[in-house]
Amino acid sequence: MKTNKAGRIALEIVMVLLSLVFLYPLFLAINNSLKSFGEVMSDVVALPKQLAFDNYSYVWSFINYPRLFLNNTIITVVGLVGIILVSSIAAYKLSRTKSRFSAILYVICIMPMLIPFQSIMLTVLRLSQDLHLNNSTWGLGVLYWGFGAPLAVFIYHGFVKGIPKEIDESATIDGASGFRLFFSVIFPLLKSVTTTIIIIDVMWIWNDFLLPLLMVNGSPSTKTLTLAAYTFVGQYTSDWQYAMTAMVMAVLPSIIVFIFLQKFIVKGVVAGAVKG
Amino acid sequence: MFKSLGRKWSEKLEFGLFTLPVLICIAVAFYIPFAMTIRYSLLKWNGISKNPKFIGLDNFKQIFMGDANFTNSAWFTVKYAILYIVLVNVLAILLAVILDMKLKSSTWLRTAFFIPYILSLVIVGFIWKFIFMQGFESLGASTGWGIFKLSWLGEPGLAFISIVLVSIWQSIGFYMVIYIAGLQSIPEDLKEAATVDGASPFRRFISITLPLLAPSITISVFMALTNSIKVFDVILSLTGGGPGGTTYSIAFDIYRDTFQNNMFGYGTAKALILFVAVLIVTLIQLTLFKRREVEA
Repeated sequence: MKTNKAGRIALEIVMVLLSLVFLYPLFLAINNSLKSFGEVMSDVVALPKQLAFDNYSYVWSFINYPRLFLNNTIITVVGLVGIILVSSIAAYKLSRTKSRFSAILYVICIMPMLIPFQSIMLTVLRLSQDLHLNNSTWGLGVLYWGFGAPLAVFIYHGFVKGIPKEIDESATIDGASGFRLFFSVIFPLLKSVTTTIIIIDVMWIWNDFLLPLLMVNGSPSTKTLTLAAYTFVGQYTSDWQYAMTAMVMAVLPSIIVFIFLQKFIVKGVVAGAVKG
Repeated sequence: MFKSLGRKWSEKLEFGLFTLPVLICIAVAFYIPFAMTIRYSLLKWNGISKNPKFIGLDNFKQIFMGDANFTNSAWFTVKYAILYIVLVNVLAILLAVILDMKLKSSTWLRTAFFIPYILSLVIVGFIWKFIFMQGFESLGASTGWGIFKLSWLGEPGLAFISIVLVSIWQSIGFYMVIYIAGLQSIPEDLKEAATVDGASPFRRFISITLPLLAPSITISVFMALTNSIKVFDVILSLTGGGPGGTTYSIAFDIYRDTFQNNMFGYGTAKALILFVAVLIVTLIQLTLFKRREVEA
């Protein structure tokens, strides 16, 4: 028993050290975002002699950070609201209607999960140009409705099956039907899966790269955080202190949100993977 | 009679109103582009010319007969996928088992290993590029260790390993939490019974934990597979395909042909091949795992 306890403590120490090494690259990124160019070049590991916050003010105005943040928010919110509305209502109807036609439509809805985005990226771009959805944050948000729908329909469909039909019936007797029935009675019951979908879709849309690169990279006013960081590094190939500042500014919102909502996020990610 | 007809029609109308929006969205995102992809793949077209030339299956012939870029990137992707799937799952199970032992630091450890997963892959690639290029130089100077003096992004073999390692670093937390959830669903009495029977910890892991972890392994391998076949972002920012074009994945090769070389027809033909490959691999895996779960 004694050796066991000693072993546990040793394991504990090893694991904590390992986790620190694991996160060291992030620490180095933050560390060097606070240094001057000369300091970065002479020694990456050393701590900054004095905190150079002017890197942040420089990058902040150069990439127009508030604008990018707003763009990310618009794209994510527009995408998310649309995915949840169109998917939940369709999945509910498809799950409740027992017919061959309905079953076929369900398969049509979830099949695209097998299509890799790179297989259709060019034609998605061409089509969205025809539909005038490109070069616009709203347009990109709308495009996500279709990209997010298959997984959302799949998850909602499975969950609706577990909601007893009697609930629909008693609501119908009370006079609620159609959209009223769905939004006032059914939708609130879907809360737990809706949370799961929100979590996986926010992480996906907020961090997505390739689709925004094709759709909204044309103008500084429509870029996302990740895109701006990507372009910025292209322009400042050797100014690592600015590059790292841009990186830290791009990931900081995600990290802050994660710290506060950690429990929900991990739970949601696991639930999404297990159901998906 | 009229009433029932009326009800039937209103039911159909409601069905249409509820399902049509999602069908339109999915058609715009997937089905119409997919149909266009099939059409484009039969064309010789630079994307600008008004009259693309119809060339039948010539694009496919050319890809399979003599496209070194395609063969190399396909080979790279296969190697990457195998190494990534095996390593990320083994390491994630290991971490999950340790974290499941209810250490005092478990909460912190879970957070620490999960954090990279919430970051964008492109940015993760850049941060690591900085570490490899600048950070390792300083670390090498202060520690004197040879491992820091290697050219991690400048030599083909090492660049490949770098890409695998960075991908694992970013995503291991995701697989870890899936395995932790799987471990927590294993009934405690089973492990206790085995302990009473005198099974060693290793033995317990092999004959009890691992088989009962099968559903989590299925999910994780499936996710790792679908993600690794499509690997793109991290390569773009970490190596940009270099050194000497040795680290192009299939997805990156398609991107290069379509958007950098403007070969719209040829690029989409490759894209279609990627789709078929993903489809086959997915179907094989689903049937394999289905069979096993029936047995269990």
